Amino acid sequence: MSIIQQHTSASLSDAWRTINIDALDPDSSQNFDTTSLHPPLPEINEADVRQLNAQVRQLLRGGDAEGALRGCLETPVYNGSESAKTVTEVLQSIKASDMSPMLERIHQSPGGSELLDVLIKYLYAWQPLPAPVVLLGWREAGHRVPLTPQQTGFSQVGSRPGSTNESTGAAMSVILSWHEKVIDIAGLGSIGRCMTDWRKV
Amino acid sequence: MSQSLRPYLKCVRSSVTAALCLANFASQTSERHNVPEVEAQSSPEVLLNPLVIARNENERVLIEPSVNSVRISIKIKQADEIENILVHKFTRFLTQRAEAFFILRRKPVKGYDISFLITNFHTEEMLKHKLVDFIIQFMEEVDKEISEMKLFLNARARFVAESFLTPFD
Amino acid sequence: MSGPEVHHLFHRPIADHSFSADRKILAVAKDSAVELYGKVAGAFKLKDELKGHDKTITGVDIAPNSGRIVTCSQDRNALVWEPSSTGYKPTLVLLRIARAATFVRWSPSETKFAVGSGDRVIAVCYFEEENDWWVSKHLKKPIRSTITTVSWHPNGVLLAAGSTDAHARVFSSFIKGVDARPDPSVWGERLPFNTVCGEFMNNSAGITVVYPTAPEQPPRAVISINTQLLPFMSLIWSSESEIVAAGYDCEAFRFQGDASGWQLSGTLESKGRPGLGDAREESALNMFKQMDLKGKAKDDTQLKTVHQNTISTVREYESNDGNVTQFSSKS
Repeated sequence: MSIIQQHTSASLSDAWRTINIDALDPDSSQNFDTTSLHPPLPEINEADVRQLNAQVRQLLRGGDAEGALRGCLETPVYNGSESAKTVTEVLQSIKASDMSPMLERIHQSPGGSELLDVLIKYLYAWQPLPAPVVLLGWREAGHRVPLTPQQTGFSQVGSRPGSTNESTGAAMSVILSWHEKVIDIAGLGSIGRCMTDWRKV
Repeated sequence: MSQSLRPYLKCVRSSVTAALCLANFASQTSERHNVPEVEAQSSPEVLLNPLVIARNENERVLIEPSVNSVRISIKIKQADEIENILVHKFTRFLTQRAEAFFILRRKPVKGYDISFLITNFHTEEMLKHKLVDFIIQFMEEVDKEISEMKLFLNARARFVAESFLTPFD
Repeated sequence: MSGPEVHHLFHRPIADHSFSADRKILAVAKDSAVELYGKVAGAFKLKDELKGHDKTITGVDIAPNSGRIVTCSQDRNALVWEPSSTGYKPTLVLLRIARAATFVRWSPSETKFAVGSGDRVIAVCYFEEENDWWVSKHLKKPIRSTITTVSWHPNGVLLAAGSTDAHARVFSSFIKGVDARPDPSVWGERLPFNTVCGEFMNNSAGITVVYPTAPEQPPRAVISINTQLLPFMSLIWSSESEIVAAGYDCEAFRFQGDASGWQLSGTLESKGRPGLGDAREESALNMFKQMDLKGKAKDDTQLKTVHQNTISTVREYESNDGNVTQFSSKS
């Protein structure tokens, strides 16, 4: 005799086979409590974030880019997109020739390597992640520009590749050159820490 | 290599190098199994933060690291429909022969054109820095390959058009 | 320290290895068998093969005094190999774990050993006379993930374990009738089985050093060193103020410091030594594989390190006055 006593539409279909029973078991490794993987996040409310951002902008306007960068990195805001924007602003305002000496100075100062770890996190956080399958979700925001279909089939005249998104491309290249400079100074270990740290900016 | 490609590849290289720190890790969920954790997705604590490196909206790399495997997905530049078709054909050709490429994943991750799956067994058997070189070289070559194919296709189209139009001269 | 001796054994990853007390015998885990090498005139010759597991062996340890070898494998079993005149005789250990065993080490007393597992337990195994059988007791709470490494305190009761839930923990593994009551230490006074004496979190590609003070009190100092390097796989204390760690950078690094601070003091390799020649021949196979894969040969196939791949274990080889003067490492 079958285990299933009563045949219902649910039991007759194969849908029950796809139920992930592991997810129902509280002891299953799937239900690992990931909050235990990082120290408790500091309490920070929106007003603080806004105030911090204002301070950073103030410093930036005053021409103290290094101070502004430090300000961002010393109080990282986890799970907030607003401050990532501020960081990007700060980063974009710094000249390419100033990057390395500034990072060097930050790295040399006490606790500097942690600051650079935070910076790396911001750099990765900025990378726009498109919508589809993000399993853990580093940052779900970001948008995807649909592929612009070109009627110009065989024409050579068509738009130059990448010309549709010149501005994002430019912003990306700033981020990429920052990434390169930070890795030169903080080493590959900082990427490793960025991947393993569950406190995401 | 163009000016903007270099920092992009350099960023990918350092990220992949950092991600390729793999160890033999038997499954926690099923007995006597040893599966790539990034595919199984069964234990959140051994999956690390995925990283995206984008050059622009059309070109990006997704790196999903875990304790014993790394999945690297590449979105190849496609500026128009022709390139779209060429990329599709090209990656299809490769993935259908995936067993000869060891680290190639048979199906790309959604939103990307081609995916590699590197497990600890690959890093044990092959040299890690060479694997990284391979990925980078692939990314370098594939753009070149696609634009070459496109040029060839256009040249061929022009030639065909010319020979069709000769009777009307 | 003189240059390293390079012994090339085979082209397979080595999960774990162990030297006997007189350093004449080397046990190496290769796939599902353990190979025993004897040292003959400066070279290691294959002497014996211990076959008993049917999955990859993850840990092997030789007890220095009794010469017993314990192995554990992803097939969920551990075996104790008793030396006898006719070779090694295996005895199965009653581990009672349902997932892969990941790591095994004898306690200093050699009456018990600890097996780390993917079942979120550490099995502390000891020999039960009346049943003539190795049995185990489980350290369970509060482990939440796979144990990757264990290490014994010299008193044979305290056990430190690292796991993939980003925590290192110190346990008491006191078993009545097997252990003598330990002297009170900084980790606590009365230590019944499964007492958690300490729990520390580390989630960086560096090293964290913890100085304990007294039970129930926060440690005197917790020092984290962030490095510019890739993560480490394994480390040993070479003296009270020095750690040697090695991992994904294919090199061993030395850390020095004390309770006031630690720092990276350099690599153990001097680049461009003559010994590099051996390493070069070693991975010819790998080079050809790469040539095959990429269709061309390049000159930069070789890393400038003795190890061409990740170093998975570092172990003490020779020690005097409590200072490790030589160590062995494998990739």
